[in-house]
Amino acid sequence: MINWALFNTEIYFLITAAGFLVLSLLPKADAHRDYQTALALSAIGVGVALAGITQQGDIFAQAYRIDMFSQVFKVLLSMGLFLIICICSELKSIPERLHPEFYFLLVIATLAMMILVSSVHLLTIYISLELSSYCLYILVYLRTEHKRSLSATIRYFIIGATASAVMLFGLAILYSFVGSAYLIDIVNTLPAIIDRPIVIIGIFFTLAGFFFKLAVFPFHFWVPEAYHGASNQVAAYIATASKVAAIAILIRVIALSGGHSEYLAKVLICLSIISMTVGNLSAIVQKDLKKLLAYSSIAHAGYALIGILSMNHAGYSGAVFYALALLILKFTCFFVVIKAATEGQNPTMAHLAGLHQRSPILALALLVALFGLAGIPPTVGFTGKLLVFSAAIQQGYFFLVLIAMINVVISLYYYILVLKAAYLTEPDRPLSELPTPMSVKILAAAMITAIVAAGFFPVYLIRIAEAATAVFI
Amino acid sequence: MIVPFSHVMILSGIVFLMGVFCAVARRNLIMILLGLEIMLNAASIAFVGGSLHFHLMEGQVFALFIIAAAAAEVSVGLALFVCVYRRTGSLDPGIGE
Repeated sequence: MINWALFNTEIYFLITAAGFLVLSLLPKADAHRDYQTALALSAIGVGVALAGITQQGDIFAQAYRIDMFSQVFKVLLSMGLFLIICICSELKSIPERLHPEFYFLLVIATLAMMILVSSVHLLTIYISLELSSYCLYILVYLRTEHKRSLSATIRYFIIGATASAVMLFGLAILYSFVGSAYLIDIVNTLPAIIDRPIVIIGIFFTLAGFFFKLAVFPFHFWVPEAYHGASNQVAAYIATASKVAAIAILIRVIALSGGHSEYLAKVLICLSIISMTVGNLSAIVQKDLKKLLAYSSIAHAGYALIGILSMNHAGYSGAVFYALALLILKFTCFFVVIKAATEGQNPTMAHLAGLHQRSPILALALLVALFGLAGIPPTVGFTGKLLVFSAAIQQGYFFLVLIAMINVVISLYYYILVLKAAYLTEPDRPLSELPTPMSVKILAAAMITAIVAAGFFPVYLIRIAEAATAVFI
Repeated sequence: MIVPFSHVMILSGIVFLMGVFCAVARRNLIMILLGLEIMLNAASIAFVGGSLHFHLMEGQVFALFIIAAAAAEVSVGLALFVCVYRRTGSLDPGIGE
């Protein structure tokens, strides 16, 4: 007998998605109605996810695990969805008749990621990963008017489908040598056979799919193109919620090896270093803000990987904390640049000129968020970096942390370039004040408070992260 | 099991490499998609082989799910390629460069 009460968050989001499916079939499009509905339903969704945070249990023949880890990530994902829908009030880059479909795909993608973080069976991992990817391919394409959206989608689709095919083959190898598709059985069997080359190949092929989601080095080529071609809101969604889910599933899969594999750690260290360096060095020359944020998210994938590859409890909980920090900080950056590019076009440095006069609160939010991404105290980004780096030091990866610190300095340079554009550069012609309704001001103030407060009092969040990852020890 | 397990794995490896070659070397979107499908089928072979080796049904269920997921992937991909062809009149993966 399945205890459906454990599945209530997912059921809620499924019903929400069904509602938008019905809305998309109605003959008359109404952007305002869709926005209000989405906002209300996703706000309730956060409540539903929060209400279920203490649930525990297994359903669907033990293929689906509800524990602290999955529930914390479900709250993060529903928060991500809610925040993204908050900035969809002026969805000018997507045709109005497609708005219900846009929300439908957004909710389904979130639902798929929620299933992903609860998966403890290879089949559920594969199906949920595919479902979220298919939604994102279509979401990127929905900006039909833009000339780059098509080539961006093609690139995203081909790289994504290749990565998932490689991952599936890796899963097949693992299954064929372990004899079970349950992660718990794999954990028990794998350390004994992990020195066989074919098993290592299987693990790396499996990781390919997750690296694609997280945009780690060999699978990062789609990122700048997809962010550039997608509408701003979709780019923000890919940068926040999708990354959170990828970090979650990477922790689950890397925890499989039980910290016994030398090869695994070495290869992950290489990938982490290359991702950080490639991301930061490419970001320096970008003028398009979305491309800059794209490359910086490649770099951040590298930092998050440091926590995961430490393969100790501090590293896993640090990575969970880092996922939370990334969600808040990346969202705030996207929020500001989307508001600065009023017509839904791709924001560039020029759009930020004189932002401190046109809208002081947005400029302040950008300042705090960029300092957070660079890891300057007292922001949540500093605490996140501190946690993952100290976990790596515990494992004796001094060299890795040194390179990461050099990368942090490089990244500070281009974050400050953006701030220079916002605070010091004067616009060519005097621009009118940005229209900032009360809701935008409240959201900006809330994000600033969250970033700084979580930087000053991180202890509660750290405790939650530690409780979430306690299942892996 | 009449066919040895290692032969099944070698076969699936060869099929997988053929798929990779097709996906990487061709400059036509349909052929790339075909290569990706072959890669998925290679994984199905490995799953069914593993399932027979251990006398467990999980691998065969996996193969069924792969067939369904591959159909979904093809429908998304082909819909996309139809849009590409309508807009650019070609199926070259390097459009818009």
